[in-house]
Amino acid sequence: MNELPQQLVNGLLLGSMYGLVAIGYTMVYGIVQLINFAHGEIFMTGAFGALTVYVYILPDGTSMFLALPLMLIGAMIVAVTVAVGAERFAYRPLRGAPRLAPLITAIGLSLALQQAVWAWYPEAKSARTFPQIDGGPFHLGDVTLQTGDIFLFIAAPLSMAVLAYFVMKTRTGRGMQATAQDPDTAKLMGVNTDRIIVIAFALGAVFAAVGAVAYGFKYGQIDFRMGFILGLKAFTAAVLGGIGNIYGAMIGGIVLGIAETLATAYIADIPGLDQFGSQSWADVWAFILLILVLLLRPQGLLGERVADRA
Amino acid sequence: MTTQTTAPKTPSAPTAGTAKGLIGIPAPLGRALATGGGVLTIVATFLAWTWTSAFPGDLTVYGYPGGLQILVLIGGALVTLLGLASYGVTPLAWLAPAGADAALKFATLATFATTWYTIIAISAQLGGVVNLEPGAYLAAAVTLAAFLGALALPFERPAPDPFDPDDTGWERFEHTTSQKWQTVKAAFSADSPRPVRTLPAWADILIIVAALAVALTVFTYGIGTEYDELFVGFLIIAGFGFTALHRSGLIIQISQITARHQSVTVFGAFLAAALFPFTQTDDQYATIGVYILIFATVALGLNIVVGLAGLLDLGYVAFLGVGAYAASLVSGSPSSPFDVHFPFWAAVLVGAAASLVFGVLIGAPTLRLRGDYLAIVTLGFGEIFRITANNLDGTSGPDLTNGSNGIAGIPDLEILGFDFGTQHDIAGFTIGRFANYFFLMLLITAVVVLVFRRSGDSRIGRAWVAIREDETAALAMGINGFRVKLIAFAVGASLAGLAGTVQAHVTYTVTPEQYLFAGTTPPNSAFLLAAVVLGGMGTIGGPLLGAALLFLIPNKLQFLGDYQLLAFGLALVLLMRFRPEGLIPNRRRQLEFHEEAEAPTVLGKTGA
Repeated sequence: MNELPQQLVNGLLLGSMYGLVAIGYTMVYGIVQLINFAHGEIFMTGAFGALTVYVYILPDGTSMFLALPLMLIGAMIVAVTVAVGAERFAYRPLRGAPRLAPLITAIGLSLALQQAVWAWYPEAKSARTFPQIDGGPFHLGDVTLQTGDIFLFIAAPLSMAVLAYFVMKTRTGRGMQATAQDPDTAKLMGVNTDRIIVIAFALGAVFAAVGAVAYGFKYGQIDFRMGFILGLKAFTAAVLGGIGNIYGAMIGGIVLGIAETLATAYIADIPGLDQFGSQSWADVWAFILLILVLLLRPQGLLGERVADRA
Repeated sequence: MTTQTTAPKTPSAPTAGTAKGLIGIPAPLGRALATGGGVLTIVATFLAWTWTSAFPGDLTVYGYPGGLQILVLIGGALVTLLGLASYGVTPLAWLAPAGADAALKFATLATFATTWYTIIAISAQLGGVVNLEPGAYLAAAVTLAAFLGALALPFERPAPDPFDPDDTGWERFEHTTSQKWQTVKAAFSADSPRPVRTLPAWADILIIVAALAVALTVFTYGIGTEYDELFVGFLIIAGFGFTALHRSGLIIQISQITARHQSVTVFGAFLAAALFPFTQTDDQYATIGVYILIFATVALGLNIVVGLAGLLDLGYVAFLGVGAYAASLVSGSPSSPFDVHFPFWAAVLVGAAASLVFGVLIGAPTLRLRGDYLAIVTLGFGEIFRITANNLDGTSGPDLTNGSNGIAGIPDLEILGFDFGTQHDIAGFTIGRFANYFFLMLLITAVVVLVFRRSGDSRIGRAWVAIREDETAALAMGINGFRVKLIAFAVGASLAGLAGTVQAHVTYTVTPEQYLFAGTTPPNSAFLLAAVVLGGMGTIGGPLLGAALLFLIPNKLQFLGDYQLLAFGLALVLLMRFRPEGLIPNRRRQLEFHEEAEAPTVLGKTGA
């Protein structure tokens, strides 16, 4: 059986998830030149929001078709609240402060969010099982698709299309583009930049929430630490695609996901590297890819939309 | 929405410049209350505060103070002295070169907070206020009276700032709040002190020695506190007491004196630190001492990277880990795959060199880019280092680091026949294993301080600061940005590696889990960064103080337990919001963060 199509699909799925989270990084970065390190934790709180809806709000045995949209909404509400709160109370007062200040704030925020979930969410001290969609795996030729993956397969392109429409066609979206290009001029043209920044944070959180629900379906469990490594990967994806470029984020995510999957699957076949192919090395390969990209094409695959003003 | 055309009424706040207290007690009465309260506080500490010795520290005795009462006694003495100084008692004028009023406010606050904390702790722990003796009621009353009295002391109010008529209700609320906050801040602020008289050099040095002796005593006391309540009391009194002395101008004068004799001060500080093991009777607190030193040294190394060059390194602990692993691999440990036993100097070189190599490998691709990339790449590197060390166990990778079990059984050091693992008797004092390592670590700290000072003042150090302040301008001035940044990064990495080589021997075992991004035990990358930020970026004293605090607080306050990291994260956010320059601010940085508020006065000062 030819394994390659299966690996490519796995990589595509993993990559779409990275891409969904990467959008949050890239959008905020494009507008305020801030790496929102806490974005991984916003993703994590989204997953717990979805879990809360399913376990504590909906009655037992609710059909997944009914539960899924409600879980998504729950995840989005939690993630957006956290993101907008962080923007309002932690980042906004630091606008104009030296570059290090918001970065350090972000680290503190990310630790505090992780620990808050760990300490206060019921039984969150170890991983919690995430509800699954019933139904057996689907076979398409050589490729097997798990039921949980179907959600991601539909949600990722859909989210992307919605985002593209929003940024290109709506008034607010064009305001975002203007703010990203030149905040001062945008302000003079009547764009409420404060509002745009809040919207960027909120939109990023919405996509992170979709990604979080997808994560839950894919891996079957969530824990308070899931945001750290995934956030790191998503940022890598954003850099890979060209930070500040929302299409780049999705493409970077997919490239990273496929590269990671192929690395774990095939690196062991390279003579001399037979011990480096297992899943435990996947993060290392993703990181090496990041270093290589920074070395060879620091502006990312699609190039940065926003010129470096510093 | 209607536009408001009439000018809004400003609240009937007193106009700027009028001297009036924060609360409406006449100032002479307030001063008398504060000073008298100080005297009575001293008296109260000699009385019993509770009837049972169930509360630690034995506060049941009439006739002498114990435990937390001693701290209150110190606070009371400070209040009395400052109170007398504020009356203009000539022999005490040295205590308050910048005026005693603001200092008195902080001193009474320190005493008030410590006393009330003690009384609340007694009531909460023993179940109700019935457990209090009259002494406690007296102490509570007089410290409150003293604090209220001090608040009545007059101060210069800031000029009122009228509303913008277009403001929404929320904005207006924010505006009034900030206005009130400004007033409170003004109540607690003091003028700059009168210049120090020129004293003969021996007198200066005597003052420095006295200051260092006080610092050593305070530090030793803090390390030696035996129960949570005493440590909290210590933090309250030390924090507010220090602020009081700072407001009185005494600290500023002392730092001016130390600035005159920098080498003496640095030498003296190391001497004072070296005396620490001799003040201890067993090795218990020397253990804390050596861990604080490791943490502080690594934080100081990070301060070169973050504080001087402005490069945010979020995986710094990985360089410590590289150094520790490198040293342990050549230490002759049975779990090391290499059957070699290098002498210490060679192990140090190997450790520092390994970290240097990794520093350059990580730095070279990223330092050409915007600084944000460095932050994320170092964060990734810190994580990858841990994963790799976990994987190199012979099954999921080549056998090098023994996986999650780590390299165990690292032998104790032996330098020139001096065995670090055994006790030694020096001049009648017993120096245990950890005290031995304390001295070695102190030497490493001295090296790092030396590197920091010499490089900071050199051409390259000034280039670092220039890059940190404005990279574009620095490049335009002909600084080779990439090269200079890479040097900073590599120097920082190798200093961490240096500290790592000693750490490996102190802890016997090196495991990947010691080098997390964020964990409950320092040093880890988040705590290191916090130590630098809390203490003050770009200074030597800052990271040392920050590391000591960040090590002692989790170590002493067991009740924080699970919430420690949460509190730590929130503290980081609040710190960045309200005091981004840290406890010991670098002068240039303080200007940078409070540009609009302080620039004119400082310009005046430099002109003078």
